[in-house]
Amino acid sequence: MNMQQAIKMTAAETALVDAYTAQIGDLPGDGAVLSLRDTLVHELKTAGLPTRRVESWHYTDLRTLLRAVPSADPSAFADRVEPIVAGATVLSVRNGEADLKSLPEGLTARSYTESLLDGSAVAGLAVLGSDDAIGRINGGLVRGGLEIAVAEGVELEAPLEIQVAQSHGQAHTRFPVSFGPGSKATVLERHLSTNGDASFVSSVTDLTLAEGADVIWIILQQQGASDTHLGQIRFDLGKDAKLHVFVINAGGKLVRQELHGRASGEGSDLTLRGINLLGGESHTDVTFTLSHDVPHTTSSEIIRNVIFDRAKGVFQGKILVAQDAQKTDAKMSCNTLLLSDDADFSAKPELEIFADDVQCGHGATVIDIDHTQLFYLLSRGIPENKARAMLVNAFVAEIVEELEDDEALVEALEGVISAWLEKHA
Amino acid sequence: MPAVQETIDQVRQIDVDQYKYGFETKIEMDKAPKGLSEDIIRLISEKKNEPEWMLEWRLEAYQRWLTMDEPSWARVKYPKIDFNEIHYYAAPKGTTGPKSLDEVDPELLKVYEKLGIPLKEQEILAGVEKTKIAVDAVFDSVSVVTTFKEELKKAGVIFMSISEAMREHPDLVRKYLGTVVPQSDNFYATLNSAVFTDGSFVYVPKGVRCPMELSTYFRINEKNTGQFERTLIIADEGAYVSYLEGCTAPQRDENQLHAAVVELIALDDAEIKYSTVQNWYPGDKHGKGGIYNFVTKRGDCRGKNSKISWTQVETGSAITWKYPSCILRGDCSRGEFYSIAVSNGHQQVDSGTKMIHLGKNTSSRIISKGIAAGVSDNTYRGQVSAHRKAENARNFTQCDSLLIGDKCGAHTVPYIEAKNSTAQFEHEATTSKISEDQLFYCLQRGIPEEAAIALIVNGFVKEVIQELPMEFAVEAQKLIGISLEGSVG
Repeated sequence: MNMQQAIKMTAAETALVDAYTAQIGDLPGDGAVLSLRDTLVHELKTAGLPTRRVESWHYTDLRTLLRAVPSADPSAFADRVEPIVAGATVLSVRNGEADLKSLPEGLTARSYTESLLDGSAVAGLAVLGSDDAIGRINGGLVRGGLEIAVAEGVELEAPLEIQVAQSHGQAHTRFPVSFGPGSKATVLERHLSTNGDASFVSSVTDLTLAEGADVIWIILQQQGASDTHLGQIRFDLGKDAKLHVFVINAGGKLVRQELHGRASGEGSDLTLRGINLLGGESHTDVTFTLSHDVPHTTSSEIIRNVIFDRAKGVFQGKILVAQDAQKTDAKMSCNTLLLSDDADFSAKPELEIFADDVQCGHGATVIDIDHTQLFYLLSRGIPENKARAMLVNAFVAEIVEELEDDEALVEALEGVISAWLEKHA
Repeated sequence: MPAVQETIDQVRQIDVDQYKYGFETKIEMDKAPKGLSEDIIRLISEKKNEPEWMLEWRLEAYQRWLTMDEPSWARVKYPKIDFNEIHYYAAPKGTTGPKSLDEVDPELLKVYEKLGIPLKEQEILAGVEKTKIAVDAVFDSVSVVTTFKEELKKAGVIFMSISEAMREHPDLVRKYLGTVVPQSDNFYATLNSAVFTDGSFVYVPKGVRCPMELSTYFRINEKNTGQFERTLIIADEGAYVSYLEGCTAPQRDENQLHAAVVELIALDDAEIKYSTVQNWYPGDKHGKGGIYNFVTKRGDCRGKNSKISWTQVETGSAITWKYPSCILRGDCSRGEFYSIAVSNGHQQVDSGTKMIHLGKNTSSRIISKGIAAGVSDNTYRGQVSAHRKAENARNFTQCDSLLIGDKCGAHTVPYIEAKNSTAQFEHEATTSKISEDQLFYCLQRGIPEEAAIALIVNGFVKEVIQELPMEFAVEAQKLIGISLEGSVG
């Protein structure tokens, strides 16, 4: 097949290209940024959105699944909402305009729009590979976001909540965040929609952890039932850096959350925990790649999926261990509760190993609720729907409990999960 | 943790330099001219004295093949194959088909003797050999002899070369050929459909338990040939058959192509056990030469309570591209896949299985062990899927890989797809979740966990390998001892 051949564009592809054309002259950027945007949109036009023939999109055929894209509306950003943890510092993004207020000491933030305008954003705008559709869409259309830095040795006391609230239309945001040596922080990246109108959101977060930084990064995705959310987290771990990423998907119609990172400093550690709550007709895909580049790095991933109704869930995880990365310890597991015969789940946990002195493993299970556990609860007089809800809750809640150091945060996240389960179970 | 010394030594013993079957035999051959065209296909069909429908089937496949692209998704690298530089037919002169042992060229018999394949019925009957196996010997493009045909006939079992079956049992062949691996299934299967020259045909009638092991031994001898064989095994209701396949080739600098298709069909309550000891020439230690083994193997559990089990010991070939699969169509059917794949030197292995659960209460089990040494790459690629209506589908998968040295790679690419809430899939690549009961039993008797796991997995493989005749099992036996120590998921 000749890849150069022009493809017939789908409605969604046309809408994305049109959104770009309509905003030419208005999208922020210096010469280099604007020319890169042009290239990215041109690639989107010629290659189209990825289909299942692109291996990394095997279970999420974006070209077929993305039927329509609402047109961009600059006034579509919603007002700020209360943070889920009381006392958190809130930074919100409205129409690309960063809403900056007084920040705690050691934390600096500026609008990403400025980085686009002065050209300092150009290096980070490059795509990760030819299959990086999210990077391409976002790079072409991004208007703003926040550039955040946590200074060396600073320990943030209260969690930081980054809010991207959308009512309809499109939102394309970026968050380059750097954590200085020895810094410590808990950050909540929260995507939500305030009404039922369809919105299309792309967001790229780029985390850099310097030596000894210790970070908890939580992505809480609570988009509306007709929204499309394309999220991407990139991360790079320095020497002895510790990153704990928490992904909670509790919304959206078509969701793809990618995480791509490198353990590039010795002694670095990544923990990924994911909770995906799927119901209705939604399609949620979590795709993760981690490259262990140097010796003595560790990682652990646990993904829990709960799937109701006619929803489709996907998990793709890939761990690469480079030739010199001896003594790597990597464990990945993905457990799924498939609660409806119309639901659907696919997993592809991959390992690619080139070093011989490593411990790597992965496990994946797909099951229904354990009947003996259900029977136990029923025999004690608990009604079936309640018993089921308890078991499902227990299945995901144990993951949240790992954040035991911050009780208010655990409580808030459990609240989000319980609220979702009450609505769907 | 790194591999233990014992394992390293054992793998070294089967290194590419130690290939014992690399000799070449000078035998006068009857060859088709190089290249692929409709004329060549007509020639093959004519040589085989085939019915007209078969020729049409081949030509149809050829037309489809011309429109297909070579697959590129596998984790293997090789220079582009020139399909017009291959002889698609090569047979020892004077062989028009298998005949009785007395008529076979003594030179050919010597080849098989050298390879350790028991072809002489008398010796076997006289008790020289311990096990009794019926062998179909395929030399380049044709089957030269099939042993124990008469005795099998008494039991009602049909075991002969597929070209012979096409003439003697055309209805059976026509009914089942291409029903598991369709003509245009994939690039290599389609090529095979167009040009296959021989292979084995087995039919075990209702309620018959095949009285002996059946086996086919493939030998590529001639230069610049490709071997395209096709095997079709049918186990009718309540039948049982165990079949095994062995293969070797001379040491040469050029790469040779082997693109086979194997179709298994198990009807109600039938069971087929298919074992392979794949020992094609792997190339030398610089990666020169060796066989490209691009094989499509698939079993169809068509009937209720049917069972198909694949066992493979893969040590040879420069490139292996092979995914023996089971379609679990019948209710309560069962599929099994046990594999040990060892890659050394410059070998590249991309192998695994597919378990497609369609019927109710179907179960499958996958145990795969990959061992990579030298500068080789060893990939497990597997798929387990449960159809919307596959109630209570059950799968257990375990794949372990072991790396010896820091220049090789081990990869795992499993695809798990569930469309039914009653499906229960477990994919394990860690060594902790082997049957808990067995493990507990060993542990409480004071056997350390690592030793217990090795014992259980090896015991599992052993169970199947022990049923292979000694001649085929030599390589396999060496591998059984390889411990799981230091293995990675």
